[in-house]
Amino acid sequence: MATRAPLIQRTAIPGLGLSAGITLFMLSLVVILPLGALLAKGASFGAANVWEVVNRPRVWAALWLSFRLSFLAAAFNLVFGVILAWVLVRYRFPGKRIIDAAVDLPFALPTAVAGIALTALYAPNGVLGSLTNQIGWQIAYTQWGIWMALVFVGLPFVTRTVQPVIEEIEAEIEEASATLGASRLHTMRHVILPMLMPAALTGFALALARAVGEYGSVIFIAGNIPLRTEIAPLLIVIQLEEYNYDAAAAIGIAMLVISFAMLLAINLIQIWSRRRIGHV
Amino acid sequence: MSDAALNLHRSAGRPARPFRRPTEEAAPARIVLIAVAVGGLMLLVGAPLVIVFVEALARGWAAAVASLQSRDAMAAIRLTLLITAIAVPMNAVFGIAAAWFITKFDFRGKAFLITLIDLPFSVSPVVAGLCIVLLFGANSAMGAWLVANGFPIVFAVPGIVLATVFVTFPFVARELIPVMIEQGRSEEEAALTLGASGWRVFLTVTLPNIRWALLYGTLLCTARAMGEFGAVAVVSGKIRGQTATMPITIEMFYNEYLSVAAFSMAALLTGFALFTLMLKTVLELRHADQLAATRRH
Repeated sequence: MATRAPLIQRTAIPGLGLSAGITLFMLSLVVILPLGALLAKGASFGAANVWEVVNRPRVWAALWLSFRLSFLAAAFNLVFGVILAWVLVRYRFPGKRIIDAAVDLPFALPTAVAGIALTALYAPNGVLGSLTNQIGWQIAYTQWGIWMALVFVGLPFVTRTVQPVIEEIEAEIEEASATLGASRLHTMRHVILPMLMPAALTGFALALARAVGEYGSVIFIAGNIPLRTEIAPLLIVIQLEEYNYDAAAAIGIAMLVISFAMLLAINLIQIWSRRRIGHV
Repeated sequence: MSDAALNLHRSAGRPARPFRRPTEEAAPARIVLIAVAVGGLMLLVGAPLVIVFVEALARGWAAAVASLQSRDAMAAIRLTLLITAIAVPMNAVFGIAAAWFITKFDFRGKAFLITLIDLPFSVSPVVAGLCIVLLFGANSAMGAWLVANGFPIVFAVPGIVLATVFVTFPFVARELIPVMIEQGRSEEEAALTLGASGWRVFLTVTLPNIRWALLYGTLLCTARAMGEFGAVAVVSGKIRGQTATMPITIEMFYNEYLSVAAFSMAALLTGFALFTLMLKTVLELRHADQLAATRRH
């Protein structure tokens, strides 16, 4: 928009200095300086040393675990979130309003509360854990537990991004598809789902980003066994508790780099899918 | 009304007859989808919610209340209220200023600025805490100087406030920016032409237009601020009675096998979360047109 314009265009509206001052001061104090401190720490530690820390089997295992389970949890939420959004927009059933409000509970509930609640449910002596243990399926203190916690924290994202899109689908499109002889299933697969895809992928990306960094809800249910159920954020906490600031910064930088790479990849997929489908 | 008219009326109102409109799913498919959605949500969200209260009241109401009145629990509740009372207004002021700056003026790099404001949502809370420790911790130059002058940030209240502000940073701004873009600048410009001062324009023209969006953003910010765990766990040092917030105290109680105390504290936060959700739903129902409707979280 403003490539040719001067840096700031003067308008009649007052408050430029004050609003710009508060914005830039807070942004610097809260976001830029702290993130800068992390990058500076990494730079002074040296790229070779950062790599040496990240390349340790325990760190590698934790990063791989975090990203793999986050991906699987976000994938589950992608499917379940689209179904949930469809049901909430298109169908009428008793208790719908409560269900709709309940979707946001994972946003409102503190993560530590979610963590101990899920652990109480799925521990071997818990209400649901004792049931699954009978068929030999242990959830708490295994990777299943971590996945479960990540599903919980990422649950609302896809539903909340897809819902407004479903609301805006025009009846004519589905009617046209039916008139041309498509079965309902065919219309769903080839007309409706492609329209929902960009929004669903946005929700997927948000859920993924949230899950990768998640700490509070996971550490209670994870068991935290090195190489098996230890997530990357926990490893940072452990390094900090041992005053290994360099190693903590190295793992933190690795996490930042990988999450930005993933968000970038998803943005590219989104641009590609929008272009392929041919609408915004 | 005759029987025929009644039947006609009924058939018009109810799609649940054998005849199915071609733009709807068959009844069995509908029932399965509703069952999957409702059942899944009950299991994933409903069950954890119920278990919090069940565990809190496992030894009765009196035990739960007594556990909340212990010295550590009371200190944690006071600290969390203090942190929230500082961090949320800071973010509200920042959100208003940022939204005003971004929507009322044209400048280069606006998209980049918005990206920077959104950045905290894609950074792990633990990494956020780590950044604050690296910047203000006693091992850094600035941190050492601050500690020497009697104003420690890490392992003290200012650090917890900073961590909380970081993780809730975009909430208010994100809510206000779309609403203020939609409303444009003409109303403010008209008020200025009529001779109103800048503050008067803000208070009597802008604020009434954005009040529900502001309340909505503040609400989400408050819920997150009270419940933040990862970032606070890193910067607080978890000093009992001094820097242990409510979520940190839940972890302490839980690790000490004080199940009733941990879940009672959790139930208190859950009650607040439910209250937040209720207010949020009411706002969405009553003032949907004045909220950033398409970004509902």
